[in-house]
Amino acid sequence: MASSNISGKYTNFTVFFLPAIVLLGGLVVLPIFLDIAVAFTDMAQTLNVSGLTNMQFRKFFKPVEDSMLGFELRRSFLKALTLTATYVVLTLVIFNTTFGLVLALTTTALSERVGSFFRAIWLLPRMSPSVVYALLWSWTIDPTERGLLNQVAINIFGIGPINMKLHHPMMLIVISNGFIGASLGMIILTSAIRSIPKHLFYAAQADGAGPLSITWHIILPALRWPLSYITIFQTLALLVSFEYIFLIMGPARSTMTMAMLAYTKTLAPGVGAGLYAYGAAITMILIVIGIFLALLLWRLSNMQRLITEPRIEVQ
Amino acid sequence: MTNAKFLSITIKKPNKVLKITSSLFIFLSFFVISQSLWAKEIKIKLWATADRSGPLRAGNILEAANTLNNMLAAANADERVKIELIETNSKGYDADALQLLKAHSVGKTPDIALAAHEWIGTFVEAGLAANLESHIKTNSTLYEDIIPQLWNSVKFKGDRYGIPQDSEVRMFFLNNDLMRKAGKSESFIASLPSQVNAGQFTMNDLCDLAAEVKNAGAAKYGIIHRPNVGPDFQMAMASFGIDLYNEDQAKLQITKTGLLAYYKWLKRCVDIGAIAGDMTTWSWDSVHAGFRGGEGFSKFHGVWNLGAQLKAFGMSPTDKEAYFKKITWINAPAGKKGGTPSNLSHPIVYIVTNGPHKDLAAILVALASQHVPNTKHAVGTNHTPINYGQAAMPDFVEKGWGLIAGVPLLKYAQFMPNHSKIGQYNAISYQGVQGVETGEMSPEEAVEFVIEEMEVELGDDVIILN
Repeated sequence: MASSNISGKYTNFTVFFLPAIVLLGGLVVLPIFLDIAVAFTDMAQTLNVSGLTNMQFRKFFKPVEDSMLGFELRRSFLKALTLTATYVVLTLVIFNTTFGLVLALTTTALSERVGSFFRAIWLLPRMSPSVVYALLWSWTIDPTERGLLNQVAINIFGIGPINMKLHHPMMLIVISNGFIGASLGMIILTSAIRSIPKHLFYAAQADGAGPLSITWHIILPALRWPLSYITIFQTLALLVSFEYIFLIMGPARSTMTMAMLAYTKTLAPGVGAGLYAYGAAITMILIVIGIFLALLLWRLSNMQRLITEPRIEVQ
Repeated sequence: MTNAKFLSITIKKPNKVLKITSSLFIFLSFFVISQSLWAKEIKIKLWATADRSGPLRAGNILEAANTLNNMLAAANADERVKIELIETNSKGYDADALQLLKAHSVGKTPDIALAAHEWIGTFVEAGLAANLESHIKTNSTLYEDIIPQLWNSVKFKGDRYGIPQDSEVRMFFLNNDLMRKAGKSESFIASLPSQVNAGQFTMNDLCDLAAEVKNAGAAKYGIIHRPNVGPDFQMAMASFGIDLYNEDQAKLQITKTGLLAYYKWLKRCVDIGAIAGDMTTWSWDSVHAGFRGGEGFSKFHGVWNLGAQLKAFGMSPTDKEAYFKKITWINAPAGKKGGTPSNLSHPIVYIVTNGPHKDLAAILVALASQHVPNTKHAVGTNHTPINYGQAAMPDFVEKGWGLIAGVPLLKYAQFMPNHSKIGQYNAISYQGVQGVETGEMSPEEAVEFVIEEMEVELGDDVIILN
C-alpha cells in the first residue's frame, strides 16, 4: 500500500512537474550556463573558440596607477551601469507601479463599461507590434519640424523645436517603456482590487469613510502582495529590456544601458556586432545583478510569507 | 463476369526469361533516365540577401548559369549547373555576414555569397572565402577591364578573395541654387570641384561656405550627414590624414593627431552653424528630406541618391544639364591646403567559398561580372560600373550619365579596410562624432575616450599612432 502511494507520488510529480522542469531547464538554466561558458572564451564573428580566457572581463576595467586597486571601471561601463539603474528605477517607480496603481484605482472607481474602455486604451501600447509602436514614437519626437511633437510645439505653443533624443533621452525611454509597463500593473492590480470582498467597502462607507480613507485602509493593504510581485518581476524585466530603447534611440551613447551594450556588441545590425563572448560577459554581469536584486527584493518585501502554507486548513 | 475471371482469361502467364528481361529493361531505363535527370546536375548554392533594390546581384548569377548551361550543351557535356538560391532577410549586409558565418560554422556553407567587401578579412579568417588569385590570372580576359582601384576592395594580405559586384562613390553633394541665393558667383561654383581636387579648397573652407550659405538665410541646414554608424565618415577622416589600415601588418590603425583634427573640424562646423549639433539624433527620413527638400546646402552620401534627388527636384531622369546646374559633386576636400582630397567607394562583392565546386562557382561569378549583366544591375540601381568599357554602352550613355560622371571620382576612392574589426572601429569612432557634435565631449576628450575604447576593445588589432 505504502509503495503504491510512493509510486503514485512519483507519477504525479512526473506528470505535473516534468514539463515545467524541462522548460525551465531548457529555456532558463541551460542558456545561463551557456552564457557563462561563452563569456570565458574569445568567440567572435567567426564563432571560432581558441580556448578559455578571462579577456572579456578584463575589458570592463582599465589600469590606473593612482587608484587603490590599481585599476578602475571603464567610463563606458560605469556609464552603462548608471544609466541602467536610472532607467530601471524611474520606469519602475513612476510607471510600472505608481502609474499602474493609479490606473487600477481610477478605472475600478468608474463604472464597469467606462473603466473597461480606459483599460483597453492603456493596453494598446502593449498590444501594438513593437516596431509599429517605436515607429509612432519616432515620428512623434522627430527633432525636425517634421515631428508631431514639434508641429504642436511650434504651431500651437510657439516654442522652438524640441529634441527629446538629444536633450531628454532618459525621459524618452522611461515614458515609452513606461506606457507599456503600466498596463501590466494596471491589470494585476485591477484584478486584486476586484477580489476585495465588497462588504468591506460597504462597512467602511457605513462608518463614514471617504474615498481616500477607503483607498488607504482597505485597498492598499490588499495590494501589498501584487505590488511586491510587480516590483520584483518588472525590475528584472526592465534590467534586461532593450527592444524599445534600440528601436527608438538606436545605439545612442545617452541610453546605452547594460542590456543595450550587450545587444550592440552581439546582434545589433550595423554597429560592429558579432562579439559574442564579450556580449555574453556583459550579460553575465546582468545575470548576477538580477539574481542579487531578486533576492534583495524578495527579502525586503518578505515574499516568503506569501508562499508559506496557511496555518489554518480550511476543509 | 468478375474481374478475376476476366484477368484469368485474358492475361497469359509470362515465361521466366521474358520476366527477367523486362525487369532488367525497366531498371536500366530508370537508371539512364535518373542519371540524365539528376546525377549530372551540379548544384551551386548562392547566398544573397533579399534586396529589392538590387535583385540582379543574385539574378546575374542565375543568368550566368543559363549561359554556362548553353555552353555545356553546345559542347555535348553531360553536366548542367543549377543554382540553389539561399535568400536571407537580414537587415543589412553586416547582419547578413554574421548569418553567413553562423551557417558556415555549422557546415552549411554556400558556394557563392554576396557580401559587403569589408567582411572579406573575417571570411578569410573563418576559412570561408577562397583565394581567387589563380582564377583571376587564369581567366584574365574576363577580368582585364575591371577598374583597377576596385581590386583594392577585395584584397586581404595582398591577395584577392572576391570579385567586385558593383561599385559606388560617396562624395559631397552641394546645392548650387542655395549658393547662388547666398550671392556666390557662377564661376566660383564651377571652380569648386577643381579647387577641391587641387587641394586649394579645404574641409574648413567647406565648413565656412556651409555656414555662410546657412547664415545668409539661403539654407536651413549647412552640411547634412548620416545619423548613424557607417562608412561615410571614413572619407572625412582620410581628409585629416587618418590612414585606417596598415596593409603590411594587416591591422587597423588610428592617428591621434588626425583624429583630433577631425573632431576639431566637427566641433568648429557645429559652433559656426554648418552642422546641426543634433544631427546624430535625426531619422534617415529627415536626413534625406533635408537635402532633397532643398533646405540643406550639402550632404555627404552616395551616388545612388541620384535617382531620388532627380525625382525630388522634379527633373527628368535623362536631364543631365538641369541636374548639374542645380547640384555640384565634390570629393571630401583635404584637411589642409595642398593636401589630397578623398572619397569612399563601398562595393558589394561576390565571394567564392572553399567548397567542392569552387572553380565552377568562380566561372559563374566571372560570367556575371561581364559588361552586359553588370550594366543591367548598375543602371537599374544607380551604381557606378565595375568595368571601364561599360561607360561606353548605350544603356549607360542614355540612362547612366550620372554614374559615368562618378567614374572620375573613383580615382580618389578609398575603401573600408577588409578587417574583421572594422565594424567595431567605426562604431567607436562614431561615438566620438556623437560626443563632439552634441557637446557631450570636447574634441580632446573625445580623442581620449575613443583611443581608450579602441585600445581595450580592439586590443592588438589596432595600431595607435601619434
